[in-house]
Amino acid sequence: MGQILFYGLMDGAIIALPAIAFTMLFGILRFPNFAVGTFMTVGAFIALTLNVTFGAPIWVAAIGAMAFTSVAMWLSDVIIFKAMRESHSISLLIVSIALSMIVENIIRLFYGNDVRGFELPLERPIKFAGIKFTPDQLWIIGTAIVAMLLVHALLKYTRLGKAMRATSDNFALAEVRGINTNRVIGATWLLGGALIGLAGVFAGVDLVIEPQLGWSLTIPVFAAAILGGIGSPYGAMVGAVLVGIAEELTGHFFEPSYKVGVGFVIITLLLFFRPHGLFGQPEIKK
Amino acid sequence: MSAYLISIATFVGFYMILALALNLQWGLTGMVNFGIAGFFGMGAYTSGLLTVYVGFPFLAGVASAGLMGLVAGAFLSMLSVRLRGDYLAIVTLGFAEIVRLFLLNEDWLTRGPRGLSIDVRPMSESFDRNEYGIFYLGIVALTVLIVYFIVEKMRRAPYGRVMRAIREDDVVTETLGKNAFFYRVQVFSIGSMFMCIAGALYAHYVQSISPDHFVPMVAIFIWMSVIVGGAGNNNGLLIGAGVVMLILEGSRFLGDFVSFVDAESLSAIRIIFIGVLLILVIRFRPQGLLPEPKFQAPVGIKTTRVN
Repeated sequence: MGQILFYGLMDGAIIALPAIAFTMLFGILRFPNFAVGTFMTVGAFIALTLNVTFGAPIWVAAIGAMAFTSVAMWLSDVIIFKAMRESHSISLLIVSIALSMIVENIIRLFYGNDVRGFELPLERPIKFAGIKFTPDQLWIIGTAIVAMLLVHALLKYTRLGKAMRATSDNFALAEVRGINTNRVIGATWLLGGALIGLAGVFAGVDLVIEPQLGWSLTIPVFAAAILGGIGSPYGAMVGAVLVGIAEELTGHFFEPSYKVGVGFVIITLLLFFRPHGLFGQPEIKK
Repeated sequence: MSAYLISIATFVGFYMILALALNLQWGLTGMVNFGIAGFFGMGAYTSGLLTVYVGFPFLAGVASAGLMGLVAGAFLSMLSVRLRGDYLAIVTLGFAEIVRLFLLNEDWLTRGPRGLSIDVRPMSESFDRNEYGIFYLGIVALTVLIVYFIVEKMRRAPYGRVMRAIREDDVVTETLGKNAFFYRVQVFSIGSMFMCIAGALYAHYVQSISPDHFVPMVAIFIWMSVIVGGAGNNNGLLIGAGVVMLILEGSRFLGDFVSFVDAESLSAIRIIFIGVLLILVIRFRPQGLLPEPKFQAPVGIKTTRVN
């Protein structure tokens, strides 16, 4: 049982960061960005190039991946989404799917369809209190926690973070009160991109690196964000762990190949009974 | 070559049925459905399994697929159709993934990734290979016509006005005494039925289906048909389906002229091209090639614009 919980925590650590990015972008721009998963793949492949081709240690590769994904996502806003701020959320949703098709296939052009992995020293699993784990897995969970604490500090204690929360809460009001919403939007894309790039590296360490890597994580990421109440970064953190544990429980007691389906079942049941998530506030419809 | 063109035309037919169904759900009633591949696959396997294992004839197989679509569509929409558009997108996409996982993993029933081969075809003894292609194209074309007729009839009827009213504002529609929930469930189920019928026709045409025929990409192509053609316009999406197929198949021949790219890169470039085109259409011509006809007040009646 402890082992299952640990693996659940592990899955949660991978999907938590993109879920935070997804939920923050949704809070400000009001559309679900389906390209979140694909940008995780971008992060994984950039780190792969730095790590395998250039021989950089994995932590350097991870920083490079964060920087690249961050700028790439920001550029996607500048080139595509910026001109479409007034569009219907469904149009933007479809645009983001088209974007993820484009990005995924650019990756295919450069790297082909092969399955790859990082060059990491092989490590013996450690057994502690009946739970088996590798140092890599501890690093992933630890780094994810640090990243979440940093996001928390940013949102809570900095001017930018407060502006982000205000803009997400009420865009028009924030604008009237003199917040430079364009800067806030740009900063959210950059921050989101960095989180997604880092999570891509996590996924690459834990799973295998291939062009579909991020797409397979998209539904769990959405599930985590919706479970936590969309627009709420803290909810997304809790949601990610719950989704991770639910996936592992399904894998253990039911059928491992249905793990990916768990996210969908969670979303549907939750939306049916509590449409605004576990921690979200009901939206008042005019 | 002509056999190739006939097969392309048949595929355009499948796309048209799917696009008409999506137009009913999204273009006219405003319900997002990204689970097209799920319904398409469900229909294909329902008819395929019933004809192969139970010995149903072709028509009974197709009819069962339609019934399956009606039931599954009703079930999914009753669970989720109250949701906001973007949530509905995620739920329907998840539904398609579950269907694909089921087809992939329950190989005692579906033969899993090895795929299912279906030998049942209507009147297969009466024609030779080439003639049969034309005959089957006829069946598909007839189905397109029937579906087109039903959807167009629904659009023009008072029922269609309620559908569009729900699309524009469900609260106002409810205030006027229409139960938006029931309308939505009905429309969603009928659309899903058409999608499953398209799947069944597809299964008996290609005669060998596997779960990887029913990936989310199918949904993108159909959405693209509807968006390029013009959401809400049944004529537009017929053109849209043709345009999408033209791009998909036309770019196949690119390889004959550009020798320095291999097949793998070519298929990647093709999808990049489709993605870029889709974004450009949504950005610069969101109403599509043929915009939805707007009902206008008869001449002589003054309309006031409220802004």
